[in-house]
Amino acid sequence: MNLVESREEGEFRAQVQAWMREHLRGDFEPLRGCHGPGTPGFDVALAKRWEQTLASAGWVGIGWPREVGGTDLPLGRQIIFHEEYVRGGGPGRLGHIGEQLLAPTLIDHGTPEQKARFLPGIRAGTEYWAQGYSEPGAGSDLANVRTRARRDAASDEWLIDGQKVWTSWAQESDWIFVLARSEEGSVRHQGLTLLLVPLHQPGIEIRPIRQMTGSAEFNEVFFDGARTEGSLHLGAPGQGWKVAMALLGYERGVSTLGQQAQFRHELDLVIAAARANGAARDPVLRQRIAEAAMGLATLRFHALRVLGAAAGAMPREAWTAKYAWSNWRRDLGRLAIDVLGAAGDVVNGDADRARLQQLWLGSRADTIYAGTNEIQLNLIAERALGMPR
Amino acid sequence: MDLVLNDDQQLIAETAADFLAEVCDSRAMRAAADSADGFDRALWRRIGEMGWCGVQASEHEGGLGLGWVELALLQEQLGRRLACVPYFDSVALAASLLRRVGTNGAGLLAEATAGTAVVVVALEATDGVARQLADGGWRLDGCWPQVPAAGWADHLLLCARDANEAPVLLATATARVRIRPLHTIDATRRSAELHADGLTLPADACLSRGAALEPALQGARDLAAIALAAEQLGVAQQCLDLTLAHTAQRVQFGQAIAGFQAVKHRCAQMLVMIEAARSAVYGAAAVADTDPDPATLAFHATQALCAATEAAQFGAQEAIQLHGGVGFTWEYDVQLYFKRAQAASVRLGALSRWRERIAAQLLDSLP
Repeated sequence: MNLVESREEGEFRAQVQAWMREHLRGDFEPLRGCHGPGTPGFDVALAKRWEQTLASAGWVGIGWPREVGGTDLPLGRQIIFHEEYVRGGGPGRLGHIGEQLLAPTLIDHGTPEQKARFLPGIRAGTEYWAQGYSEPGAGSDLANVRTRARRDAASDEWLIDGQKVWTSWAQESDWIFVLARSEEGSVRHQGLTLLLVPLHQPGIEIRPIRQMTGSAEFNEVFFDGARTEGSLHLGAPGQGWKVAMALLGYERGVSTLGQQAQFRHELDLVIAAARANGAARDPVLRQRIAEAAMGLATLRFHALRVLGAAAGAMPREAWTAKYAWSNWRRDLGRLAIDVLGAAGDVVNGDADRARLQQLWLGSRADTIYAGTNEIQLNLIAERALGMPR
Repeated sequence: MDLVLNDDQQLIAETAADFLAEVCDSRAMRAAADSADGFDRALWRRIGEMGWCGVQASEHEGGLGLGWVELALLQEQLGRRLACVPYFDSVALAASLLRRVGTNGAGLLAEATAGTAVVVVALEATDGVARQLADGGWRLDGCWPQVPAAGWADHLLLCARDANEAPVLLATATARVRIRPLHTIDATRRSAELHADGLTLPADACLSRGAALEPALQGARDLAAIALAAEQLGVAQQCLDLTLAHTAQRVQFGQAIAGFQAVKHRCAQMLVMIEAARSAVYGAAAVADTDPDPATLAFHATQALCAATEAAQFGAQEAIQLHGGVGFTWEYDVQLYFKRAQAASVRLGALSRWRERIAAQLLDSLP
């Protein structure tokens, strides 16, 4: 147990801060604090240039091993980078799905050819990935996937038919990893394959879904005879479920600490709004603001426990992390709109107010995606507590 | 940076858990709670012999030289077993206060950390007036209406006000104060009403006073809050463990009720709160070991206390509910945890006051 930062870590922190100050300015200024695609005014082309700026400074793949082009920074420094990135106003990472989800899976389960082909594009910020898991009939019940993949002997390609949904940022991505049923007649977890599929092709249609926030970062993705090379299955054909689950396991990575730095920024906006409009004098709101701040500090301590656990271990506290942060943030969203009061209903062009309104609405998704509250509680009961299935 | 227990800390927690499972099981705990003064003296003696009272004290003070993390681990296990001993009162609160006042308290501190004497702080007086006498001694009048563990104490540290309304901290042997034991719903932690009627004390009974005393009291309360939170964490954990054991063997509709989603989700929510509380408690204890500034200590102590209290109160309430009818009986232990969770939730004052302090940090300072 160690909460004290070493001198070297302190220097590294200062280095990241300085880099952010030097680079997130000028042309990149409009990206400051932007959550991501879907945020009003988010300039995707600019965000991709920003990703490339990060990449050329060596800030992409900081947790990857050196032999695949990473910098293999110790955990403590990865945490510091993610914290200072967000603190410095760094925008939502367009490369997140590629860097944080697909890349670790490729590193563990990919063939040498797949690694050589895909990791450099992710590392350079030139290729972007989307995740094709959920379907209209396979949400919480992901094993009910119906999208079909079959091998076309003539062309040695995979042919894919079906539909994915809630696909974040598909409209801005180049590739998608698709969980598909590759063995005819198979059911549930059997007979699934995880395929790496180029998005820009005639067999794929992407339709944005307008969300309750008014923006559209989710999409429906339709596959109608879409194609990918015969070698582009990640893990063995038929073993897709195992690989797909391993991929989800990387989601509780060090980037959660960067996410918390974003939460801190949101909490600061709530506090600033309360001070500005007098809500800070309301005794009940004062209690809730104190609770929110302390809850966030607990999320940070929690992440430091989970991340410190032995690699591959899944202690009890790891199972509760997603439920804890998503419900904390949903409560923060409610607090934000309560602090705004009646003015919370009015859209007036004020950026900070818009941010709080978006927080209130957007946080309703947190307890749904990546395993709903209800699925999380099932997992906690069954996996962490060993209660009967 | 990490917040994972090291091997030694893991060993301390496991050893304490095993020891208390043996000597402080439900039967032993209930026997102590039902005894005349509710104090498990045999257990307290063994705790003293093992050095637990000095776990966090420096080696210079005769302690083990470990930290608040280790103290919290012991306190957690004591909470889990509702041990009827004044560990929190004497070791976490009184010793912390003694460490922060002048050298007059050194003798008492040595006794508290050696476990040879129980020292209890009486914080809240309804009317405690200390008048300084011509010879420098003190004459004390007052009532401290509800002081937990006071009946078990060898020495008392009484908070009072002097003629100028400035705070004074006076030490006295318990025997010199009039003590009226109170009947408490939480039988595992007795309280007493204290009276001083013209009690005269020598000049060196005054351990601290005035401007120096306020921050000492505040700091000691904040540190103690981390230990109290650890105790509540133990309460919450035991509530879950009892509930898991019960629901695994209770059969209704032809199956163990642990298989029903309504039951599973409630247990899962208990674990969410417990693990959050554990993170808050271990984190706050680790912060306490880094010699934090007062505002930082206050923030994390409050954080731990709020998180652990919530976990304990929710855990105890759901434990009763999920035990069903037997949860409402005197025979089953969950009711004891329910009572302790409530008593401990106000042990250091209402949580709303703690939260308000943090709100003031966040909202009232200049930006």
